[in-house]
Amino acid sequence: MTNTVTKLALAGAMALTAFGANAADKLTLQLKWVTQAQFAGYFVAKDKGYYEAEGLDVDIKPGGPNIAPEQIIAGGGADVIVDWMGAALAAREKGVPLVNIAQPYKNAGLEIICPADGPIKKVEDFKGHTIGVWFYGNEVPFFALANKHGLKTEGGPDGIKILQQSFDVQPLIQKQADCIHVMTYNELGQAYDAGYTADKLTVFSYTDMGENLLEDGLYALEPNLKDPAFKDKLVRFVRASMKGWTYAKDHPEDAADIVIDNDTTGAQTKEHQLYMIKEVAKLLGDSTGVLDEAAYARTEKAVLDQKIITKKPEGAWTHDITDAALK
Amino acid sequence: MTKPSFFRDSVVPVLTVIAAIVVLWYVAALFMNHSTVVAEAQLKGLAFTPSATWYRSWALDKPLLPAPHQIVAELWRSTAGLAITSKRSLVYHGWVTLSATLLGFLLGTLFGILLAIGIVHQKVMDKSLMPWIIASQTVPILAVAPMLIVVLNAIGISGLLPKALISTYLSFFPVVVGMVKGLRSPEAIHLDLMRTYNADDFKVFTKLRWPASVPYLFASLKVGIAISLIGAIVGELPTGAAAGLGARLLSGSYYGQTIQIWAALFAAAFLAGLLVLVVGWSERLVMRLMGARPERRAA
Amino acid sequence: MLLLVLAAILGIALGISWLCVYLVHLGERLPATRRFIDFAVPLLFGVMLITEWELVTRGFGVPEILLPAPSVILVAAANALPTLWEDVVQTFVKSVLSGYVVGCGLGFLAALIINRSGFLKRGLLPLGNFVSALPIVGVAPIAVMWFGFDWQSKAAVIVLMTFFPMLVNTEAGLAAAGHMERDLMRTYAATWGDEMRRLRLPAAWPFIFNALKINSTLALIGAIVAEFFGAPTYGVGFRISTEMGRMNTAMVWAEIGVAAILGSTFYGVIALFERRVTFWHPSVRKGQR
Repeated sequence: MTNTVTKLALAGAMALTAFGANAADKLTLQLKWVTQAQFAGYFVAKDKGYYEAEGLDVDIKPGGPNIAPEQIIAGGGADVIVDWMGAALAAREKGVPLVNIAQPYKNAGLEIICPADGPIKKVEDFKGHTIGVWFYGNEVPFFALANKHGLKTEGGPDGIKILQQSFDVQPLIQKQADCIHVMTYNELGQAYDAGYTADKLTVFSYTDMGENLLEDGLYALEPNLKDPAFKDKLVRFVRASMKGWTYAKDHPEDAADIVIDNDTTGAQTKEHQLYMIKEVAKLLGDSTGVLDEAAYARTEKAVLDQKIITKKPEGAWTHDITDAALK
Repeated sequence: MTKPSFFRDSVVPVLTVIAAIVVLWYVAALFMNHSTVVAEAQLKGLAFTPSATWYRSWALDKPLLPAPHQIVAELWRSTAGLAITSKRSLVYHGWVTLSATLLGFLLGTLFGILLAIGIVHQKVMDKSLMPWIIASQTVPILAVAPMLIVVLNAIGISGLLPKALISTYLSFFPVVVGMVKGLRSPEAIHLDLMRTYNADDFKVFTKLRWPASVPYLFASLKVGIAISLIGAIVGELPTGAAAGLGARLLSGSYYGQTIQIWAALFAAAFLAGLLVLVVGWSERLVMRLMGARPERRAA
Repeated sequence: MLLLVLAAILGIALGISWLCVYLVHLGERLPATRRFIDFAVPLLFGVMLITEWELVTRGFGVPEILLPAPSVILVAAANALPTLWEDVVQTFVKSVLSGYVVGCGLGFLAALIINRSGFLKRGLLPLGNFVSALPIVGVAPIAVMWFGFDWQSKAAVIVLMTFFPMLVNTEAGLAAAGHMERDLMRTYAATWGDEMRRLRLPAAWPFIFNALKINSTLALIGAIVAEFFGAPTYGVGFRISTEMGRMNTAMVWAEIGVAAILGSTFYGVIALFERRVTFWHPSVRKGQR
């Protein structure tokens, strides 16, 4: 009786391993925010079968306001994450050895907007006024900007009063803040809808001011990069993802539809996602996913100057993956 | 003495109060949305007649205070107007939240009752645990929830259970507090009587303490189930706000869709009210089975 | 090495538990030591928890951004005392206390009004159920939209959260006076005010304190959660949220610790008042277990 059971168990195990050998490689991607066109490339790559064609079975996990992708990857909940360079460098110093493996977003979409008929006309006018700032890793560019212009951020008549801004444009509409942060592809559209069209806004674009820090990039853990099998998975992943981004850029309507299909909350609207994908296309620029060293250097310097990190980071990015992916 | 009638005694008062609130609400919406309407008109260069401005307060896309009919319309659209399995349906999201709530509530109640029994019977547990149980509730769960979920995912527990555990964490406290008070509520004279019967702790528990604590238990259960719902909603946030009423609430607030927020809020509150009602009915059933008589209308 | 850590963890757990049991029995035999023992046992238990925490995080090499060791947290807290104090003033003194007083006061008054009118009671209670079930993560952004970023919106959220438990418990308390006692009041031709003052309110105190205790923790949690959704750059909730985003988990836990101590002290003060006012209730009377 036991003999038969053992034989059956062995047979079953062997059958399972046979299946395992044919199964695609699993990979988990943790997004920086909720399912929206900001991450269209990855959803397109999944839906259009680009990942499957590379032999990958990708699980895309959406993020949200209380989710720090750096924590998720440190806890083993993801293999690769979407993150901003400032936050990734900070995490690296805290003991999470993140390495940038690809940089799809060439330009930064972060902006500060103020009503055109308000008191703020240039950065120096921030003094003595209230500015809405996002935290959770998104505050680094602002503090770097304030630092550069010698503006204090503690409030009072000489400094800037900071409001922890939520993820909408209410503070501007309710006049609770003189200026707020927006992403060109999301909140700016909400401001437009509320009646604050471009001619009614004074816009401080971080890119125009030369203060743009690297935004959406792909990161993995350094120890994992030493494993050639894992590295190969990443190469295939980056290749398929960039293919997804190219498709998304060229077919915004399709991409918006795919994003809506993947949105489990049912809260996204087609028109907003279409707006978002068109703006994101501008941020992607002509990037093939390769990290621009000058942009990295600027980000690293801003983060060091602002004392977000105390030591110059070593090995925070690599071109290995993108080189292999674009071959 | 007039016969008690369900309609006159329960339905009419509630309806009257609701009607009064609805009227007040429309008036409030008028005033609160007025500035938004005026600002919008200025921005878009539109001219509104004064009365049209007032009417527009009740028809804004993203009002500060949505008018009741807007909320009802949104609720109807997302429940009856959609297939139950659609990702936009509030019924679907409500079910996701409800499953985590019920599991967490069950675990929390069980845990709370066991803890209370231990505290009442074992002095050591009473002295060492009670202060820490109280302190545990002061830890803001919304802050700990993301860390908790990350840690649980790291050991392989994901999906329903982490959210349910947050509900458990929140709901066990009212149960413990209520049950401890309830298990200790029998009068000294009754406990002395049990002593004269040579009853051991177990008999005292089953025959005296437990029956005496039932009213306290149900009061705590009502609080507990509402809190479990809130815990389930809170638990949805760190999991990427993928599904559930909490996810709906949050995504509504990202995109400034105030009507969506209010609709989800009402759906959650309605669900909680329903759950508390169910607990109330089971309380009456249990009390009747235990032989309690409905109290005569007090003078 | 791991075995050593495991042995230490088990050893400390068993050792301190044994000590607690011993102390409790000692307290029963020597009544003079009882007050000291009441204080020492929970303290010992807490010490055990913290030591086990330290052993687990250090011994098993748990990464700091997942769970920092207590020693790390203490160091972070010691370095950030002014910040912690500023946060406490913003959250506790300004938001919690004002919201708590207003919320409980309104709940109490509403219960008195309802007590006079059976009609209102049957109409308002089901709705109160509904209002109290509004999830705070939905109410908080709306409160910030209406009342601004400062402490007023947090106080508004607290009022909403504490109103209903206070109402329900006061209402239950007012109904708790026995029929015989109420009939006695009628024979004295007592007015509604007299009956309230001499019979119903005193009988209601256990229930009211129940609500006050529940509300004390609710209020603190409400303020902290509300701060997640918009705050000036200080406050316990704000600090927790932003430091979490910067992965300074040690600071996050330091703030959580401060919140826990605050909440426990608040609860303890109310419990002290309860013991004095409701000395007659069986659960408070000594010698009854």
